[in-house]
Amino acid sequence: MTATIVEGRALLETVVASVVAGIGVTFVFSVAIWGVARFADLSRSERPLAAGAAAFVAALGLLCTTAAVVIGLIVMTG
Amino acid sequence: MSSEIILFIVVGTALAFDFTNGFHDTANVVATSISTGAARPRVAIAMAALLNFAGAFISISVAATVANDVVNADVITPTIVFAGLIGAIAWNLITWYVGLPSSSSHALIGGVVGSAVAAVGFDALIAGGLLGKVLIPALVAPILAFTVAGISIGLIYRVVGKQRPGTVTRGFKYGQVVSGGLLALAHGTNDAQKTMGVITLALIANGSLAPGADPPFWVIASAAAAIALGTYSGGWRIIKTTGTRIIKMDAAQGFSAQGAGSAVILASTHFGFPLSTTHVINGGIMGAGAAKRLSAVRWGVAGNIVTAWVLTLPAAAAIGALAYGVTAIFGTGALGPVLVTLASLTLIVALFARRAERGSPVPASSG
Repeated sequence: MTATIVEGRALLETVVASVVAGIGVTFVFSVAIWGVARFADLSRSERPLAAGAAAFVAALGLLCTTAAVVIGLIVMTG
Repeated sequence: MSSEIILFIVVGTALAFDFTNGFHDTANVVATSISTGAARPRVAIAMAALLNFAGAFISISVAATVANDVVNADVITPTIVFAGLIGAIAWNLITWYVGLPSSSSHALIGGVVGSAVAAVGFDALIAGGLLGKVLIPALVAPILAFTVAGISIGLIYRVVGKQRPGTVTRGFKYGQVVSGGLLALAHGTNDAQKTMGVITLALIANGSLAPGADPPFWVIASAAAAIALGTYSGGWRIIKTTGTRIIKMDAAQGFSAQGAGSAVILASTHFGFPLSTTHVINGGIMGAGAAKRLSAVRWGVAGNIVTAWVLTLPAAAAIGALAYGVTAIFGTGALGPVLVTLASLTLIVALFARRAERGSPVPASSG
């Protein structure tokens, strides 16, 4: 009975971790792609300030993606 | 001396299984990247093999589950483990031959369960472990991957849907290099550990290790090398099934399917669940397809794959039980395993010769 409860909790944690990591990483990476696409468009239309902001969003998205992957791997190996 | 010969055969058979696991599962790992054009086949396979090798060193939680929580190590003998491995390898090769991505993991667990029941009866099984650590996660994981991939692709289309397709596709193709790498790492860490667990179980059964012991380093390193070599050898026929026949994907769908698969497999591995990487990855692919358009998924092909999934546990168990029965005819010594190994090798060579005669389903030059 105790083993089943423990495994049930581990399974629940697996579900939560998978949802947070899977959807979270995809979202931040999409934001990065959005930033890159907007940067390209805004640069073409010669709006340097807005393009700079889009580049910042892209960089932030990439940074968050990298951080999430690295943290995930550290948790795995820990 | 006899027990050492049997143990030697078991270790060799387990590593052969690990090789076929990598060979069989190459498609699961690389098909998404190849079908979206994110990576060329040879590059994708080489990268997957390297990351499979690295992944095997990340954790030993799954190995501990296979060695201690599925069957009762006190009543298991190396011959039982050997027969279970024969069941798993035979089922892997049958499904490879007909081109269906069934589960190597379920084949392994089914084979060991079948041979253990044939040898000792149902007392050999640890019902709680089998249910809580294998069967329930086996059901939950593909549904979870389906859901995560479906929500992910929905989010992606909301965020980047109005941007230029060229830039978005290029971005997700770069993303797929990372998500594909993570998937290969996840595959290595969960699947290689099953072989480590089986070898550890045989070592415990033989008295070479204490019950509950962790896998020795040589077991980890050899399992890592075997799965990496198997992955590098590839399985072109199954790549075609997984990559293009379930659904025609774009790069964003490939990224979300691989991301979902990696997240589910890595999280499950962390908690010691020996799940089927095949089920999870195909669940992710179907989720990414179904979220965009239900009719994008070729449900007939998906149905055939589900049929193979359903058949895997009982079929591998039946072959494992049969292999034990045949081995037992020759007594408890090494003669049975030696003869069954020779017969199996003959069958495998015949199978490969027949496949070679019919030609490779997907030419090596296709990408």
